[in-house]
Amino acid sequence: MTFALNEVEAMAKRAARGAGYSWGLAEEAAKATRWLCAQGQDGVGVLAVLLEARPAPESCPIAQGAHLSDCAARIPVDGFSVVNLVQPLVLLPFVAMAARRLQTVLTVECSGARAITDGAALWMEEALPDIAPRIRVMAAGTAQSDGPKATRARPDPAAWAILDSFAHRTYAPATEESRRLGAGAGLSDND
Amino acid sequence: MIARRAPDEVMHLSRLGSLHQCRLSFMRQLTRRMARENWSFERRIFDIDVQGVGHAVYTATGPERAYSLIAFAHDLPDHLRSDRVIATAWDATFTLFDGIPEAADIDRLARNVPLQEAGRVSEKELSVSRANRSVRLWAHFVEALSQGRQPDLTRLEEVGYLMRTTAVYGSGKLGAADREVVAARAELQAPFQVEMLSVYLTRWFVRDLVEHMASAVGGDAAIGLDPAIANRVGIGNSTGLGMAPFIVNHPVLFNNWIMAREEAIAQVRSLPTASQDELACFQEIFRRSKTLVARWRTEHPVQIRKLTDLKRDLAALDWYLAKTDLTGPQPWDALMVWAQGHLSEEGQEFVASLILEPYGAMVDSLGHCMADAASDRHIIDGAMPVAQVRRLLENSFGWALDVDWQEPANCARVWYVSEEKLEPRLGERFEEPIAPYEQPLAPARDAAALHMLLAGYAAETPIAEVLLMHPEHRHSVRRAQISEFAPYGEIRSNTISQDVLPIDMLRAKLSFFGATHFDPRSDRWVRICMYAGAPYPEALTEANADFWVYPEAAP
Repeated sequence: MTFALNEVEAMAKRAARGAGYSWGLAEEAAKATRWLCAQGQDGVGVLAVLLEARPAPESCPIAQGAHLSDCAARIPVDGFSVVNLVQPLVLLPFVAMAARRLQTVLTVECSGARAITDGAALWMEEALPDIAPRIRVMAAGTAQSDGPKATRARPDPAAWAILDSFAHRTYAPATEESRRLGAGAGLSDND
Repeated sequence: MIARRAPDEVMHLSRLGSLHQCRLSFMRQLTRRMARENWSFERRIFDIDVQGVGHAVYTATGPERAYSLIAFAHDLPDHLRSDRVIATAWDATFTLFDGIPEAADIDRLARNVPLQEAGRVSEKELSVSRANRSVRLWAHFVEALSQGRQPDLTRLEEVGYLMRTTAVYGSGKLGAADREVVAARAELQAPFQVEMLSVYLTRWFVRDLVEHMASAVGGDAAIGLDPAIANRVGIGNSTGLGMAPFIVNHPVLFNNWIMAREEAIAQVRSLPTASQDELACFQEIFRRSKTLVARWRTEHPVQIRKLTDLKRDLAALDWYLAKTDLTGPQPWDALMVWAQGHLSEEGQEFVASLILEPYGAMVDSLGHCMADAASDRHIIDGAMPVAQVRRLLENSFGWALDVDWQEPANCARVWYVSEEKLEPRLGERFEEPIAPYEQPLAPARDAAALHMLLAGYAAETPIAEVLLMHPEHRHSVRRAQISEFAPYGEIRSNTISQDVLPIDMLRAKLSFFGATHFDPRSDRWVRICMYAGAPYPEALTEANADFWVYPEAAP
């Protein structure tokens, strides 16, 4: 089954919130997941693994990615390193946000794998590892010809179900009182 | 040049809950475009049986593309008829198809669209919607027409529509195409054009269906609906809390709607004089608008009071126009200043929308500014110093900084989502166990908390340093930075107070669609009318594509 990217973004936001992220970081996780899916990456799958891993903020690519993007203007010319990050693929949308802000091409190196982004597109020849002892982000690389963006996501149903179960934690349990009062409809619709 | 009204003046909930449709409304943008571009319309399929069950396809073709409404008609038992999100069956269900559907598309959609949220559509579909009958008016129309009589206008006026939509989902919902997929098309660039086109074609289908059912009952005795009566039939909409979070969650988009209207108002106010033609147009539309107000029915005490105020305001406006005849300098500004001093907020906003009417050439181009195209506006500038973030918070939420947010009256409500079909609801913080599920729909309270936190930081500290330690304030920092370029993006009232009227938030959004006849059913539920008076597709011309919202006949 395919999903609209707006559906992916909405689900990712609720799931990240359900997993305990602040609303602001849940918004970042949602945009990041959507961007990965638009690049043809398995954004839903990697977010599901990440939410289940429950990393501490210092090794979480959402928290660290958001900080990286916040500090884009201060990225040193010769680059900088992030250590002990889980699911480093999730860092890439934030690197792309920084690339757009800086209007430059950024390269990410990690355990021998390399990803390049100009902010709009992502070029990556081999998959990033699940855990990255050391990631190097630097202003380097050349933007290559840009392929079409995906407009749909095709997540593994099991990964989607994991996000759904985290999202479920944000929904209030159904009670008769809530059903009766919460929407305030009250009147008959058979008029 | 007269400046735009300040956000502090415009963005209070009581005023947002008094907005009226105007030239920039999304329905009117659509009908003007379809007439200008000479769109063609075709009923391709009408395969509905004597029980009223089956499907129909209506296609609208513009200069470059065609769009088809696929309608599924059902035989709904009364006990299942509910306008709420938690409903599971409806009188009719719809999808707007991108192009002209093949038989296989219709088969696929027949298995999904009637299920609404429990079904799935694809990127070929642009919207999914459903509608319920007005039971009493539907029965009256079928009975009258089946017996060879035209229906009673008085009874039509009591309701205004034969069917009301209870949700129109677009932008990727239920698997439909994302807005981003179609936003570059000229005909869909303005906001909600997919949804407005879907509803416009739905009204056509409903007229055909009621005639079909009358014919099924009455056989040769049945007659068709008088075009003049059909013209007055709108499409209703029944809306609950789902729309309220939308305007909070889309501050840039909401800003663009308000800012476009405010810019239009400011430009008209700045005109040094009004020509005879412009004055004649205004007088004509004002006269017709009185019929629009006279036909407005509501049973809700708040709206009854506001409607009484509005009628008194219209009488006062008559007096003003007789006295001044708008021939002095900057006549529209003088009118707005007078309205501010003498009319209710309902009346002031009615006048503000009305003065735009003679100035299509100037105003209508602002319609292009109402979409939200800049996708990177959400990115936080972490280098911004704490002092600047505080200033931005004070600009939008200065009024909220001294509010005691611990006081129960000021935080009495909680916006939440129920696990029951994900229906958006509003609950009582101190009476129900719902606070853990609170949605971030109290920007003012959150802004006040951030403002207090930032008092403990040096003025030049980059906000990124604060966010590293306090990710719980990240959404408030983002909103503050958005407010720098979107000054009309924040509601400047308390959205969780014990006095909050969610219907004000619903009306603000619905007025930009072009809705009329706001009829609240409670403090959080409203029915409206759309397209009443609009020409049907076969009669749409440039001459009638714009002012149809104002009835030509006397009340």
